[in-house]
Amino acid sequence: MENRYAEAELPVAAGTAAAHDAALAAFAQPGAWWSGADRLAIVEAARSAHAREAPAPAAEDDAGALPPAAIEAIDGIRNRSGQIGRSWFDNLIDMGLPREAYMEIASLVASSVIVDTFAQGLDLDQPKLPAATAGEPSFESATDVVDAGAWLPIAAKGSANILRSLGLVPSASALFFGTFTPSYYMTPKSRFALSRPQVELVAARVSAANECFY
Amino acid sequence: MALRESSTKAGRNANLALVTGTAEDDGNVAHGTVLAALAEAVARWQWDVAADLRRTAAKRLGAQATSDAILVAAGFNGITRVADAIGIRLDARTAEASVALRQETGIDAFAHAGKWAAG
Repeated sequence: MENRYAEAELPVAAGTAAAHDAALAAFAQPGAWWSGADRLAIVEAARSAHAREAPAPAAEDDAGALPPAAIEAIDGIRNRSGQIGRSWFDNLIDMGLPREAYMEIASLVASSVIVDTFAQGLDLDQPKLPAATAGEPSFESATDVVDAGAWLPIAAKGSANILRSLGLVPSASALFFGTFTPSYYMTPKSRFALSRPQVELVAARVSAANECFY
Repeated sequence: MALRESSTKAGRNANLALVTGTAEDDGNVAHGTVLAALAEAVARWQWDVAADLRRTAAKRLGAQATSDAILVAAGFNGITRVADAIGIRLDARTAEASVALRQETGIDAFAHAGKWAAG
């Protein structure tokens, strides 16, 4: 498959393009708690939610049949993740959003943010989304999870909490970390044309811009 | 989040004011000013600003390094959302790697009062 970033002014490793291709394909597949069409609607809604610098019209028309709690979850995670809190999350669950479905939304929104931010950062358009694949969600919910003080249970095993954070829905974890892996030192083979301090500076500056305490 | 640790290993203590955008120079990180500004513009989806910084960075750091900086910024634009969406707590390993960063930049303040308190 051709490197989707071949037309960019800046070089992009084939492995990065492959990871982002895999994410885009996965968006359209039936997931754990949402169908392929639902998952594409979640990504479309995330794309049409107002960006912080350029507010756009409300996204409801673009979001198909997604329930209001899902729309609110998408908007909160995409646009004001540093401000959302436990009571906001509890309200979404009280509105009837299953916690696993919420976790899958978090994975989809965050994965699409990575792919879209990278493309636009290279001065490319947001990638086109594939057609939805028919099929039913698996309704997976892992049992090897623990309460570690987060809003949701996290994987029982693992090192840093962030790597365990999506453990309740393993397919959501696989989607997100598959998308994220080229962006950091996630494997012994990870290499960048930046020094380690330069990579850490970029990471820290983004975390601060997003008001993320983790 | 291991800026201080990694820069110390590299023999130069990074000025953590780079993280808050208050450094007056490159802060002991090569091309730190332009990298920090590019990271912020990408994170905030300020594409006109990012375009200027991308060109500047490409001239100073090279094309691949600039592409990698955007890749890292894009990744952390996603992972910060996961961390906040799941309401995860800081684990000992991450806390240890980022203690100086937290103390000197006020990042702990982002753990606002409503983060874990039920309504």
